[in-house]
Amino acid sequence: MSLSPDPWVWIAAILTLAVFSFLYRENPFYRAAEHLFVGVSNGYFITFTWHRILVPSLIDPVGHGQKLWLIAVAFVGALYFTRFIPKISWLVRIPIAIFLGYGSGMSLLRSIEAGIIEQVKATVVTRAMFANWQTGLWAIIILIGVICTVTYFFFSAERKGVLKPVSYAGIVFVMVGFGASFGYTVMARISLFIGRLQFLLGDWLGLIR
Amino acid sequence: MAAQSGAKRHTFWEILQRIDRRWIYLVVWLVVMVPLIKPFPVKPVASPPVQQMFNYIDTMPEDKALLISVDYSPDTQAELHPMTIALLRHAFATRRRVGLVATYVYGLGLAEDALREVKREFDSVATSHEDSIISGEDFVFWGWTTPLLTMMLGMGEKITNVFPVDYYGARTESLPMTRHVKNYNDVGILVSIAGSSMPISWVAYAQTQFGLRIGCGTTAVSAADFYTYLNSGQFTGMLAGMRGAAEYEELVREKMAQMDMNWHVRNRGTEAMSSQTAAHIAIILFIIVGNIGYFATRRRKS
Amino acid sequence: MKRKLPLLIVLVTGIFGVLTYIIPHPVVQTTDSVIRNDILRIIGAFSLVLGIGSILRHHFIKIKRKSENWGYSWITVVALFVSAVIGLFGGIDPTRPGILPTHIGGFSFHIQSLFTGLIVPLGSTMFALLAFFMASASYRAFRARNFEATLLLISAFILMLGAMPLTRLLVKELPSFAEWILAVPNTAAKRGIGFGISLGILATSLKIILGIERGWLGGGE
Repeated sequence: MSLSPDPWVWIAAILTLAVFSFLYRENPFYRAAEHLFVGVSNGYFITFTWHRILVPSLIDPVGHGQKLWLIAVAFVGALYFTRFIPKISWLVRIPIAIFLGYGSGMSLLRSIEAGIIEQVKATVVTRAMFANWQTGLWAIIILIGVICTVTYFFFSAERKGVLKPVSYAGIVFVMVGFGASFGYTVMARISLFIGRLQFLLGDWLGLIR
Repeated sequence: MAAQSGAKRHTFWEILQRIDRRWIYLVVWLVVMVPLIKPFPVKPVASPPVQQMFNYIDTMPEDKALLISVDYSPDTQAELHPMTIALLRHAFATRRRVGLVATYVYGLGLAEDALREVKREFDSVATSHEDSIISGEDFVFWGWTTPLLTMMLGMGEKITNVFPVDYYGARTESLPMTRHVKNYNDVGILVSIAGSSMPISWVAYAQTQFGLRIGCGTTAVSAADFYTYLNSGQFTGMLAGMRGAAEYEELVREKMAQMDMNWHVRNRGTEAMSSQTAAHIAIILFIIVGNIGYFATRRRKS
Repeated sequence: MKRKLPLLIVLVTGIFGVLTYIIPHPVVQTTDSVIRNDILRIIGAFSLVLGIGSILRHHFIKIKRKSENWGYSWITVVALFVSAVIGLFGGIDPTRPGILPTHIGGFSFHIQSLFTGLIVPLGSTMFALLAFFMASASYRAFRARNFEATLLLISAFILMLGAMPLTRLLVKELPSFAEWILAVPNTAAKRGIGFGISLGILATSLKIILGIERGWLGGGE
């Protein structure tokens, strides 16, 4: 065992234990740690927004007499402040509208291509998929599974006749899929805890090398 | 804490059903901690998506850069940080140019942390200036900007327009690597390491418009959902959770051993596999015991 | 005016956003580039005001009214100001220090030190708590009450065991079977669900651009 000589490692270890103390019960150490986190992470956010966005993209060019029209853009951005002035708070909608409109427009066709067209293409069974029998069979199962799953989520028609067994098969696929997600979620959550113990046992206490 | 004594006598299963949650927490703590201190030997074997990404990066044209997008924050760093570190080791060992960006501001500190760690490892064994890892020459840490559209689409046109200065404040136009890496045409693959759906955003913007090849490193929570993108070929390989990180670490370790780079490093993903195995078995037992107790008490009640 | 102007802006910017993908004309592309690199970036940076302003307002109100646990609000406010001052005046790269010194003797309190020493342990430990809650929920709530739930559980067990390197030694085929579940039936189910999500995004985007979805305007006039 070789304890870390780095004071920041000690601070981090104490804060880690303060947060873990919540497992026993809610307590002042946890609450203090929680509030500290909110404060410092926002201070960090301010730092980089200033140094890496506002300075190189606004202050520097305008300061050098270039792109003076950016002052007008900054004025539009400053309308976010009106959120806290009740009489003119509606003006905050303008920068939000620019962002929302442009973002929605930009994502519209690109999302269709990435999330629908390419996915449909991958679902269609082609001759090339039968390069070996396994990939061909798996492709057929995927096609059937997609049809059944979509049918299960299709609520516009009553589930009777052929729709009934097809949508039930959809449930089977969905449950296997959710099971896979749950299994992996267990892995994810445990990993997060392992990460903290690696820090406490390794970086702090020196028990892992 | 556990047993409820009263007029009515409780069966073993009923007591087990009412056990205080803190006993469960204690079991989880021990099950994870003991194998970390005394691990059992496990050797990760690469799954097909991990092997696919490794092979692509290992064999991509030498003039193409590896772009790593650090799209995670401290909450998921335990799973994802080992991936960033393993990718950096792979790239530096095979002398690939590396570019780093972050789509979340908190990815900046994590990318810087990973760079410092891997740079220190390589610099500690370097015998000449050429062997060292140098910012601006071997890698550029472009940093973070907002919104996503600006970064993902703008970098396809001209990276220096999106990042006039790098993370360290250097003018990107003046960096030697800028001569070689101007936009996505000079990038072999972008690996988005994310705790969210950011890899899909990279596909929607950078791949759809510029044909950029995208690899994905993701938390295990999202991995099952991302298999559709792997199947469609929109992702070139995927590292899923800490297990994916461990498998990539093992491939990189073998590669570096072949290149006589045998110095000791901490492979945090591999290191975690014993604990992960023990914890999975514990959770399965929790579910089984919980179910037996539930059905036993239900039958008694009925 | 208060509602119509923002709705008009959304319509115009939304339509232009769509056009950028289908019209490769240099005028459209150059305009798009200017909007993304200059306008959106600067406006986006100012949106920080909303977040920080709301946090500060919330905590100052708590302090002023001496609400329950108001003392902790001071921790947030002081931590925010101190870390922002260190970051703004101490610089980002330790080799190019700012006007504020960021070390006392051998102790550095540079912005990256604050990140690795405070933000990383606090953020990651808060999420690590989920491991315990998930274990407790698995024990108490996860019941194989019917066929579908049993199927879900079996799939989860195979994944949990198949994902671990050690189980390869016990059952050689388990990892490949787990990988098959992910790559075939799971892919089919998630793709079916994904179609629904993509169509939902499409519908929402269209509703925003056309002014049918107005929730973002908030309350008031």
